[in-house]
Amino acid sequence: MDIRLAGVTKIFEPDIVALEDVYLSIDKGEFVYLVGTTGSGKTTLLRLISREYLPSRGQITVGDVNLRKISRGQLPFYRRDVGVVFQDYKLLPNLTVFENVAFVLEAMGIPPRIVKNRSNEVIDQVGLWRRRFLKPPQLSGGEQQRVAIARAMANSPSIFLADEPTGNLDLRTSEEIMRLLLSINAAGTTVIVATHDQYLVDAYRQRLVELHNGRLKRDERRGRYFIDGEL
Amino acid sequence: MASFRYALRDTFRLLGRHWGLSILTLITAASVLYILGFTALFALNVRHMVSRIEGGLVVQVYMKKGERADEIHARLEANPMVSAVRVISPEEALERLRAKLGNQAKAVTLLGKNPLPWSLEIQVHKVEHITPLVRDLVVFPSVEEVLYSGKLVERLSTISRASSAISAGILILAVVISALVIFNTIRIAIYSRKEEIEVMLLIGATKTYISLPFVFQGMFLGAGGALLAVGGLWATYAAAVNAVRSALAFIDIIVNHRILVQFFFLLFATGATMGWMCSWLAVSRFTSRALRPK
Ligand SMILES: Nc1ncnc2c1ncn2[C@@H]1O[C@H](COP(=O)(O)OP(=O)(O)OP(=O)(O)O)[C@@H](O)[C@H]1O
Ligand SMILES: [Mg+2]
Repeated sequence: MDIRLAGVTKIFEPDIVALEDVYLSIDKGEFVYLVGTTGSGKTTLLRLISREYLPSRGQITVGDVNLRKISRGQLPFYRRDVGVVFQDYKLLPNLTVFENVAFVLEAMGIPPRIVKNRSNEVIDQVGLWRRRFLKPPQLSGGEQQRVAIARAMANSPSIFLADEPTGNLDLRTSEEIMRLLLSINAAGTTVIVATHDQYLVDAYRQRLVELHNGRLKRDERRGRYFIDGEL
Repeated sequence: MASFRYALRDTFRLLGRHWGLSILTLITAASVLYILGFTALFALNVRHMVSRIEGGLVVQVYMKKGERADEIHARLEANPMVSAVRVISPEEALERLRAKLGNQAKAVTLLGKNPLPWSLEIQVHKVEHITPLVRDLVVFPSVEEVLYSGKLVERLSTISRASSAISAGILILAVVISALVIFNTIRIAIYSRKEEIEVMLLIGATKTYISLPFVFQGMFLGAGGALLAVGGLWATYAAAVNAVRSALAFIDIIVNHRILVQFFFLLFATGATMGWMCSWLAVSRFTSRALRPK
């Protein structure tokens, strides 16, 4: 599904302009880095796409759906097609790794046997098979990050949004997660990754979109983290 | 179908997580519904007694000498307030008198001629009907006298009305109290899972999926409370029936099982419906707010 932002502005009451007049077009199956200094509007952009926020001005369409026109009843079905890895993970601390992944599928009314198989499959893919009966507080940061990724990919969404999926992780773990995201992308899923990770961006070159104070500053096909000469 | 199973599992998790509160709610709902059931049973019995006495209430109309009762009889038959009319001929009246007085009745016929007038015996559906009926009857020129137990009639209908009003008042109060208690318990349960629900909504769970466990919990508490109340009432009522029969035999307490079972079923349904509505209200307020885009 293509994602189109046309003249999108997001203003938080009373006068914080988080995004200003952004035009952006992402095709189905693309991999996009979203970079920019802190407070530049990356999370806001992702939340507009997952319809947590509505734009103050402008239009966002995903596939042939105008996000303004989605009713409260349709919203859950739209969100099932958009997997999100939240900046703060949002894992449920009382549930095990397995349950954290399974409940997304259960919420869709999928029968227990299939839920079990699919949950185990994605948990194995993110390399947490031996941790599947632990609860998030018992896991390391990188492991929690991977649970969040497993949960977001469990129901095979067409769009995958990851908000700083490698924040605070060491290089090796970051690379593992990066390879995971690339494999999700290789299966045809559109992936948008908001990140500060200069190393990854430069090591795995992909389309790069940079925001600055809520405005689109750069959009390059295989961009580097810093513009030449900036360092 | 799978969703239903998940919802049931989560319902029991919820009840387990807040078992103290669940028990408290159950007890509160049970007590309030018990009081409700008790007053309702009391009012039901008063009504029953009044209608029993009503059934025995007869208005007697004596015609003037030589007047027959046919015309009034025809009119009364068409009157919707009247449940039964019987014309008593002078001969029948004399028979009755003989049966009652035995030998002394000979005195009545000493004159050789039957001195008794034509008369009517009227039964009405309700006590309230008696006064207007009597008012209508006394204006007939052919009617000599109308006899009925006026004071008793009025008192009975006052008692019956008062007990119905009081039990209706208690009914409203009881429903409001238990609804509030259940609503509040569900709200606490919802807030304890606030983050979980918010995450679920972000991930694409429907409102129904999220609501079901809470709705089941509310129904469980409402229906469970009602069931406890029914059990308590059953025991109390059985004891009351025994006590009344041995000590106050003249009081006519309801022992009809069908009426009682219907009543208890109604109480149970009230509890379950209330639990369902309260929890649906609480959870749907919450999810609607959470789904609103910022
Ligand atoms: N819900 C909100 N209410 C008010 N202001 C907000 C809200 N969300 C974001 N903002 C503001 O909008 C601006 C952009 O925030 P956003 O979270 O999108 O930045 P970001 O690029 O994700 O930053 P970081 O890299 O630190 O995560 C910030 O100034 C922030 O304070
Ligand atoms: Mg952010």
